[in-house]
Amino acid sequence: MTNTTHLFLLIKISIIAFIIGAISLPSFLELISPFWLLSFFIYWLIYSNGKSVFTSAFILGILLDVLQGGILGQNALALVLSSAFILNVKKSFFVSNITTQQVYIFISTLIYLITFLLIHSLVNGLNIKWLILLSPFTSALLWPLIRLLLAKLKQ
Amino acid sequence: MRLLKLLVPVFLSIILIVFDTRFSYLDNFKKFTLTLLSPIYVIVDLPSQVIGWVNDKGADNDKLISENDYLQGQLIELKVRLQTYNNLALENQKISKLLDSSYEIPNHDAKLAHVKSISQSRLSKKIIIGKGSNDGAALSQLIVGSDGAVGQITQVTPMYSTVRLLTDPTQHMPVKNSRNGIRGITKGVASNANGMIIEFVPLDSDVKVGDIFLTSGIGNLYPSGYLVGRVTSINDTIDASFLSISLQPTQNMNKLELVLIVKEKND
Repeated sequence: MTNTTHLFLLIKISIIAFIIGAISLPSFLELISPFWLLSFFIYWLIYSNGKSVFTSAFILGILLDVLQGGILGQNALALVLSSAFILNVKKSFFVSNITTQQVYIFISTLIYLITFLLIHSLVNGLNIKWLILLSPFTSALLWPLIRLLLAKLKQ
Repeated sequence: MRLLKLLVPVFLSIILIVFDTRFSYLDNFKKFTLTLLSPIYVIVDLPSQVIGWVNDKGADNDKLISENDYLQGQLIELKVRLQTYNNLALENQKISKLLDSSYEIPNHDAKLAHVKSISQSRLSKKIIIGKGSNDGAALSQLIVGSDGAVGQITQVTPMYSTVRLLTDPTQHMPVKNSRNGIRGITKGVASNANGMIIEFVPLDSDVKVGDIFLTSGIGNLYPSGYLVGRVTSINDTIDASFLSISLQPTQNMNKLELVLIVKEKND
């Protein structure tokens, strides 16, 4: 795969992640739904040898912040930190079975969530709905499905 | 080297967070980027547009006729009510003149907008409407539904606007009691999807369960006189400086389809 192909794949999956994230769901489902951009970005990170991981994570996070009308830099910081964790375990992630991969996804989503909530609480106070704490579980549960769909897309 | 590659975006993110929360230098960048990204909203909204179009085309003729009859009936009823209102307004003007009062009945422009099935951040209560800067929508304008105030426009692109609902914990709205004019400021409650509280109402104020609060128009940011909510409970803890008033919005925020963008009329 050339650099252009990696970039093209990243653009493609990011647009899909933005679209899925913007679909309106009942508030309960919206709260527990996975952080789509993170899950999709992890797939790109693992199964594509793209360069400039942190820069890509930063730019995509900024775009998500703008799209969601949130605090600029909130998703960017969360995505960069989660990517750092995944990058650290990349080799192990690649050869692991699906259950171990789900554990890695759970941890990276937890890092994302903690960063996200920390910034939210510092700026807006601790005004959160506790159901959001389930999102690392749903991210891990849906990982096999996400992996399968993105593999089809990659082909 | 890898650590440096990580630290640069981390510091940049932190700087952006601080700048975005403390200053407004980044507003133009956000507006420009959101305009570039708004085709995503168009794609997300496409299925509901198609369903709406198919429903419109396939609508039963008899059903349309009966709906039309019903709506005409409603229109006549509202016109009759408006006559009473106009009489009251004239009466009010006369009394105001006699009393030499500077009060004027507010004159507002309203623009209809569809609520889109597009979601934003999961921690904030926001909706997206299908009217943007091309249609005259602007930041801070008040949005009302058929039963009361809905929220305020916080982001505008040429085709869409984001509305932060009154029930969002970061949304504040100056209000007054319709019974005696006591003023306060509403704030949403995160734990309750349809809950609000009123802050800064002194302990000895005359507020009762069932009282209706309206937009007060203080600060000239919002038009005044629109229904906001009904008092559901009052807690007057002795050690607190203000009353703790819970409010139920008069407008059901979960069943919004059409809303009005309200602004002061420029005569």
